[in-house]
Amino acid sequence: MVYSRYLLKRLIYALMVLFIIITFNFIIFRLIPGDATKMIIDPKFTSEAKAELKREFGLHEPTHVQYIKYVGNMIKFDLGISFSTGRFVINELKERLPNTMVLFLTSFVLTVVIGISIGVYTASKQGTFSDGFVTGAGLFTYAVPAFWIQLLLLMLFGYYIPILPVHGTISAPQPYGLFLQILDRVHHLILPAGSNVIVGFGSWALYTRNTMLEALDQDYIVTAKAKGLKENIILRHHALRSVLPPIITLVFGALPGVVSGAVITETIFSWHGVGKYLTDAIMMQDYPAAQGAFYLIALAVVVCNFAADIIYGFVDPRIRIGEGGKE
Amino acid sequence: MALLEVKDLKVYYKTLRGCVKAVDSVSLNIEKGRALGIAGESGCGKTSMAMAILRLLPVNGKVYGGLVMLDGVDILSMDDEEFRESVRWKRISMISQGAMNALNPVHTVGEQIIEAILTHEDVTRSEAVRRGNDLLEMVGIHPGRSKDYPHEFSGGMKQRIVIAMALSCNPDIVIADEPTTALDVMVQSQILKAIGDLRNALDLSLMLITHDLSIIAQTCDDIAVMYGGKIIEYGSVVNVYGNPKHPYSIGLLKSFPNIKAEKAPIISMPGSPPDLLSPPAGCKFHPRCPLAKGICLEKEPELAKVHPDNHRVACHNTDMLKKGTDIWNQ
Repeated sequence: MVYSRYLLKRLIYALMVLFIIITFNFIIFRLIPGDATKMIIDPKFTSEAKAELKREFGLHEPTHVQYIKYVGNMIKFDLGISFSTGRFVINELKERLPNTMVLFLTSFVLTVVIGISIGVYTASKQGTFSDGFVTGAGLFTYAVPAFWIQLLLLMLFGYYIPILPVHGTISAPQPYGLFLQILDRVHHLILPAGSNVIVGFGSWALYTRNTMLEALDQDYIVTAKAKGLKENIILRHHALRSVLPPIITLVFGALPGVVSGAVITETIFSWHGVGKYLTDAIMMQDYPAAQGAFYLIALAVVVCNFAADIIYGFVDPRIRIGEGGKE
Repeated sequence: MALLEVKDLKVYYKTLRGCVKAVDSVSLNIEKGRALGIAGESGCGKTSMAMAILRLLPVNGKVYGGLVMLDGVDILSMDDEEFRESVRWKRISMISQGAMNALNPVHTVGEQIIEAILTHEDVTRSEAVRRGNDLLEMVGIHPGRSKDYPHEFSGGMKQRIVIAMALSCNPDIVIADEPTTALDVMVQSQILKAIGDLRNALDLSLMLITHDLSIIAQTCDDIAVMYGGKIIEYGSVVNVYGNPKHPYSIGLLKSFPNIKAEKAPIISMPGSPPDLLSPPAGCKFHPRCPLAKGICLEKEPELAKVHPDNHRVACHNTDMLKKGTDIWNQ
């Protein structure tokens, strides 16, 4: 009972956040200096033609009417037409979304799994050389700017040891055969995803290590040891399992950051995804495109947060108190 | 041969400020089915000794000498894996200090009992579940609650679950470290009664560590009083309580009221336990002892027999005490 009420509350909260984001998205693009119509309206046009074009894009109406229409469109996922390509923004995003998802999920899953594993390992080896080395390395990659490491890697594996493609999602021309095509995609994925892992694993490793050390200090770990359980069962089943709730919350809480990180990664590696689309659109003052990409990313963030709330209730039995009714 | 024999055990901690001799040449025996109480103030080495027996000392603590024999086998020199498999929980189990936190909050209590059984015994899961339920029933917890999490139980219930867990592999000896410290008096007496009943029913040996002498009087056959890492008085509960020989034991026994005896003033011993980083020379108790004399400042007394019934005391002044003077109220 308590859990479902909790979920309903989180859902309402998520919808409110989404609405606020939509509104900001509207305001921000109208605050950017420069005329929205400049990109598409040739200054040599007659004023009638200019007015006609403005009407076509709905820009002749007063701001509040534009806003109401805009909110309606957003709910219908009608993201308008790109100024620069003249195509529907939603179609362009649909093309790029799979690319982004591939990069994003690969890097994120690898980062979290590798980071947490390293954290568990270093916690079990506290004070040894390998603990110091791995923890130090994680701290370093975490502290320096992500794009710097990414550019260095690009230079290293693209120029000095040219074994990895430096840009794009696929080779042009694409190789024949499904297997080779998949291999080609993976080949392109290694550098961006790998660099994301290098940049991101540190914070997971350090956080996991610290919470693990705290957990390993608890009385119930002494009990588990006295019970004669195997070392790795104590580590995974007792220590890691008890620190998992906050880590899982963090995993979902970190998703938004990874989404925005994807914008930078995609730009650096010219990855044909939503993030690159967003930066390109902003560069070209293509407002509908930028707005659409923004909206999609914001939506992803809100959904991720909501998912975190749901998961948290599952992982931590103490949240489910009301359901058992045993207290 | 005693079931558990501790001989000359030395446990030292390496700290930044020097070496702490937490347990300094402690020897004791526990026979099958007997209960030994270890009494003493905080920091006197009680828990360190227990942890050394279970080989659970923190990283900076080490056994620097001595033997721990279980049925004549030295368990301190045993291979780690062999010790884990054949001794931990199977032969020596533990009811830990602050047992309220001895249960992992994210696993059901049943699971925590079952995993101990499955680790050490070649039984099916359903057999382990059945035994887990029996154990819970034995300590007065409804077996239907085995699927509940620790936070769904009261402190006393958690403690009983921990006891059930300690008995899950039919150990020969249970080490109970302050098993009732966090509980109120009513629950404490229930828990102690449960421990006593189970001990009789299962012919268990028990090592009970506490700062509370009344608990030992209620539960144990023998008592060892520790001070500054050493045993200073050792004997049967009847002898030590009836005829304490060490000034420290006398002080401890006088520091709580006896509801049956006639009114006697409650004393508090001045001073505090010795700093084990730089313990006093000679007898470690001499700075607080009303009987301290020349030799006490120079020579550490040996644990010597003062009574045919194996009642032993480490004090230079046992002769003076025979006169029955009230040493703490002069």
